[in-house]
Amino acid sequence: MPGLTRALVLPACRTLPWRLVGAAGVAGLLLAALTRTTGETGERLSLPLLRAAVLAFAMGLVFLLDDPARHTTATVPAPRPLRVALRVALVLPAVAAWWTSALLLVPPDVRPPVADLTLEAGAAFVLAVTGAAAAVRFTDVTRPGPLVAAGLLTSAVLAVLFWPKRWALFVPVEDDRWAAAHDRWAVVLAGAVLVGGVCAVEPVRRRWGRGGV
Amino acid sequence: MTTTVSASGLCLRYGGTRALDDVSLRLTGGVTGLLGPNGAGKTTLLRVLATARPADRGAFTVLGHDPATARGRQEVRRRLGYLPQTPGFHPDFTAFEFVDYVAILKEMTDRGARHREVRRVLDEVGLADVRGKRIRKLSGGMRQRVALGAALVGDPGFLVLDEPTVGLDPEQRMRFRELIARAGEGRTVLLSTHQTEDVAMLCHRVLVMAGGRVRFEGTPAELTARAEGRVWSSTERDPGAKAGWRTGTGTFRNVGEPPAGAELLEPTLEDGYLLTLDGAGAEVSA
Repeated sequence: MPGLTRALVLPACRTLPWRLVGAAGVAGLLLAALTRTTGETGERLSLPLLRAAVLAFAMGLVFLLDDPARHTTATVPAPRPLRVALRVALVLPAVAAWWTSALLLVPPDVRPPVADLTLEAGAAFVLAVTGAAAAVRFTDVTRPGPLVAAGLLTSAVLAVLFWPKRWALFVPVEDDRWAAAHDRWAVVLAGAVLVGGVCAVEPVRRRWGRGGV
Repeated sequence: MTTTVSASGLCLRYGGTRALDDVSLRLTGGVTGLLGPNGAGKTTLLRVLATARPADRGAFTVLGHDPATARGRQEVRRRLGYLPQTPGFHPDFTAFEFVDYVAILKEMTDRGARHREVRRVLDEVGLADVRGKRIRKLSGGMRQRVALGAALVGDPGFLVLDEPTVGLDPEQRMRFRELIARAGEGRTVLLSTHQTEDVAMLCHRVLVMAGGRVRFEGTPAELTARAEGRVWSSTERDPGAKAGWRTGTGTFRNVGEPPAGAELLEPTLEDGYLLTLDGAGAEVSA
């Protein structure tokens, strides 16, 4: 397996949707940079702007598992979890660099708590990739990205508007529920990792899916 | 002859549709053709046998391995080549890079041996001269050959080809026939096609599917023989014919139950196929 992984690194890197991830990253950084231009309202807007930046970048990450050659390589012995893990691992340094840059763009005096916000960002990124993995698991489409991006955007908007207050996720820094909200973000992250892991595995038997495997 | 694939009772549903309905079959070495109208379940059967999709029920083995277990599926995939109906590519890869990528996914990790194998395969499918060309710049026929090369890399014992000649011009189709015939030497090939000529020219066995079931299994000659005495010529379209069309000579070629005294014609594989479908209750159009 290590030999296979090593051999796959370069070609897998070339199959990644770098342009889309890059475009989403630039859009996200522009949103983060807006915190520098908002003057006195900067403190109030830095958190929503950073959250919007995270969403923008997550919209790029949903394209991570798009694979035009999916059907051609559907029955190769290299396990799907390895291929998914490799794609995620290859993009991880770019994600870390992007997040660091986004945080650095926010003036230190208006920067929200970094650890908590990193948890939110991590959960959003994992949710994006999990959505893509689920689309691959349950449909036959080769490019699930656009559909998952639309789903992610819609879910984010609906969550901001209608998420029950007692399970609030999107709270301001000064809110008493900030700590509890981030406990819930940790649950969201763990759940997304779990579902993503399940979706990345190719089932040997058909259980509930009607679409692709 | 050694059995490569043995399947019994394969069933698969999409919602209320039975894509596969109790399919049992046995495949041995050489090229076996799979004929059937659109929606007959050909692609679904091919995808199940190629381990791209599990069946709801039933069992099958490929080269003695049972893909119902993770280990068995892995073993099957190590011996399998699959050309899907609509092969996709990474368009920025060259033909060589793409087949090399598939070779890595087929666990060929020794770079030197892998590159030799990729060159051999590209040579075999007639792409040696364009192996450095990006796939986006190749014609449809050449792309199809890249996909065949990807299926052939690693010298699989079982090759699954889903309508490989669709959309190809006659010259490319002939070239592809040559490739498939060569691929069938020393391995088992299951070829799904709408082209009865492909089956007549390439296959030693043929399966006809309709409505998710295998309606015929035998040799092309046996399928043709089904139309023996049931193809006739007339000056007008015979209303009693299952299918009939005006030929280039101006007379009508009719398939079905001929009237007494009709001028019988030599049947073709296509006639046998049409009559098999008609017997299966499938729509016959000509």
